[in-house]
Amino acid sequence: MPRREEVPLLLPGFKTNLTSPAAFFAGDKPMNFELTEEQNLIRDMVREFAETEVAPTARIRDEEERFDRALMFDRLAELGLTGIVFPEEYGGAGADYISYAIAVEELSRVCASTGVTLSAHLSLCANPIYLFGNEEQKQQFLAPLARGEKMGAFGLTEPSAGTDAGGTRTTAVKDGDSYILNGTKIFITNAGEAETYVVFARTDKAAQKHHGISAFIVEKNTPGFTFGKKEQKMGIRSSPTMELVFDNCRIPASQLLGEEGMGFKVAMKTLDGGRIGIASQALGIAQGAMEAAVNYAKERKQFDTPIARFQGIQFQLADMATQIEAARLLVYSAAYKASHGISYSQASAMAKLMASETAMRVTTQAVQVLGGYGYTREFPVERMMRDAKITEIYEGTSEVQRLVIGTALTK
Amino acid sequence: MKILVCMKQVPDMESKFKLSPGALWYDTADLAWRMNEYDEYAVEQAVRLKEQVGSGDITVLSIGPDRIKETMKKALAMGCDRGVQVADDAAMAKDPLAIAGIIAEYARSRDFSCIFTGMQSQDRGSGQVGPLLAEMLGLPCVTTIVDFAYNAGEYLVKRELEGGVRAIVKVKGPAVFTCQLGLNTPRYPTLPNIMKAKKKELLTVPVAELQKLAGQQETTRIFFPEKKGGGLVLEGEIGALADQLIAILKDKTSVLA
Repeated sequence: MPRREEVPLLLPGFKTNLTSPAAFFAGDKPMNFELTEEQNLIRDMVREFAETEVAPTARIRDEEERFDRALMFDRLAELGLTGIVFPEEYGGAGADYISYAIAVEELSRVCASTGVTLSAHLSLCANPIYLFGNEEQKQQFLAPLARGEKMGAFGLTEPSAGTDAGGTRTTAVKDGDSYILNGTKIFITNAGEAETYVVFARTDKAAQKHHGISAFIVEKNTPGFTFGKKEQKMGIRSSPTMELVFDNCRIPASQLLGEEGMGFKVAMKTLDGGRIGIASQALGIAQGAMEAAVNYAKERKQFDTPIARFQGIQFQLADMATQIEAARLLVYSAAYKASHGISYSQASAMAKLMASETAMRVTTQAVQVLGGYGYTREFPVERMMRDAKITEIYEGTSEVQRLVIGTALTK
Repeated sequence: MKILVCMKQVPDMESKFKLSPGALWYDTADLAWRMNEYDEYAVEQAVRLKEQVGSGDITVLSIGPDRIKETMKKALAMGCDRGVQVADDAAMAKDPLAIAGIIAEYARSRDFSCIFTGMQSQDRGSGQVGPLLAEMLGLPCVTTIVDFAYNAGEYLVKRELEGGVRAIVKVKGPAVFTCQLGLNTPRYPTLPNIMKAKKKELLTVPVAELQKLAGQQETTRIFFPEKKGGGLVLEGEIGALADQLIAILKDKTSVLA
């Protein structure tokens, strides 16, 4: 038991390794919590599109486990959403990460499956090519992804490599000016539909754990690359989740992304950005659920009174709104840092952790507010609750997010 | 080809409206703002016309305080080339004559081949600005258009009349058109276009420079319709019901003598 004077006290000025808002807002610029005119216009446009075109089929696509590429991807491309954050020279819109967060949130507010389609495409496939690709790779692969001519996906997870990415067993063996890939990836979002895949494989069999892994760009229809079973999921059922199967799949050596052995770093940097996307998806799910609960409570009468007048319900709604607002500020803080070249690993981990757990709580609460009706598929909240759960799991489980934050805090 | 689109920023019609202090208009605090729905058709048609002729230049003009600039940017993002904000914090108090006068003063020497406005605004709803503007500029005006075609200086449009009747009107430019629901489906401003709109010219002109004509109407009072009493349900045998109803109509209304 340490003596009292040995325990450092949390005095004002206590330094942490975490980048807190105070640390980066210090300076001449006052804190500005308003969105820019452009960000507002983007919100309005995506919201209108989402409500008018995506929402009407959200329920049936979930019931049928059906992906609708024309709606859930091609329309996004037409609206310029598939390359939001990338520079115009690569077919992108040159907008910032807050705009991206807004777009994913607004789509997810009506259909979480559409939100993750965009997020996985942009953050997990296009972004690593942008960050680590050479100029030829950016022109050949990034530009069509940014323009939405091709859809992207990310193949990291394997049966023995989830949180432990070091458990990767897929191999890539150099053979002349090619690599030959062998192995299986599971739980891959956009699989089957996407044309471009960023895939991780072990290039150095002698290396241990997460060393010796490399990243590759693999295209659909490459001989030796096929798709395995489609997962039957609890939620985001309109988003296709499948296995990738590599059986002596030969790809040009020019499709190595970054350098050999750099794969783990590529994956981790990619997931930092992906966290902002998933946090935004979770935020949108929570927002949609809360709005459904508030609207229902205002209409539903029991004891001759709209249930929104009962404090018990009001307290629940108040908690939902407050937690969503807190999560939103964390998401925007991470997005702000991502767009301003400030290190954002911890911020995006916090955002994803908070937003996903908020989404699970808020959607569960929303079903409760809607009562028996909320439990039926006629109302959207049960779907939102089923959709919310995955946000606590993919792109780094909540446990992993806590590891990221805890490690930084205590190093 | 120079095109002018007149646009107004109005509150979202789903908003909860309150009377302004002084009860001369609605309170503008805490409202969500948007482009007047009919003006969206006007902007869309102007952009389509420019796309058709290939070389066009669209100016979007709007009168109001600084908050209208965001809505003007939407028009720029939809495809207008430049914006003119007539800065006026008291735009809401002006009548259609004054508004048309301001626009006419701007448009007078600028040689627009085609001017689009919405059929009416969703808040005041006078429907007068388009025709007044045309009259002031000495131009023909066709209102409530639901179809539009242009060919070599001549316009062929369809107007919506009562009972679903359409009138086909041919008019030589320059001309003013007021746009009605059904004319087109306004495009979403795509994200790249929203970003490009940032770089488009958006000039601010103080209203004093353009207002030469005083308005002639003054709003003296604005109020919510009085809440009427609840309805009355009559029950019973049909003959007795009819007698009851006649008695009520005679007694409580002036419908029957």
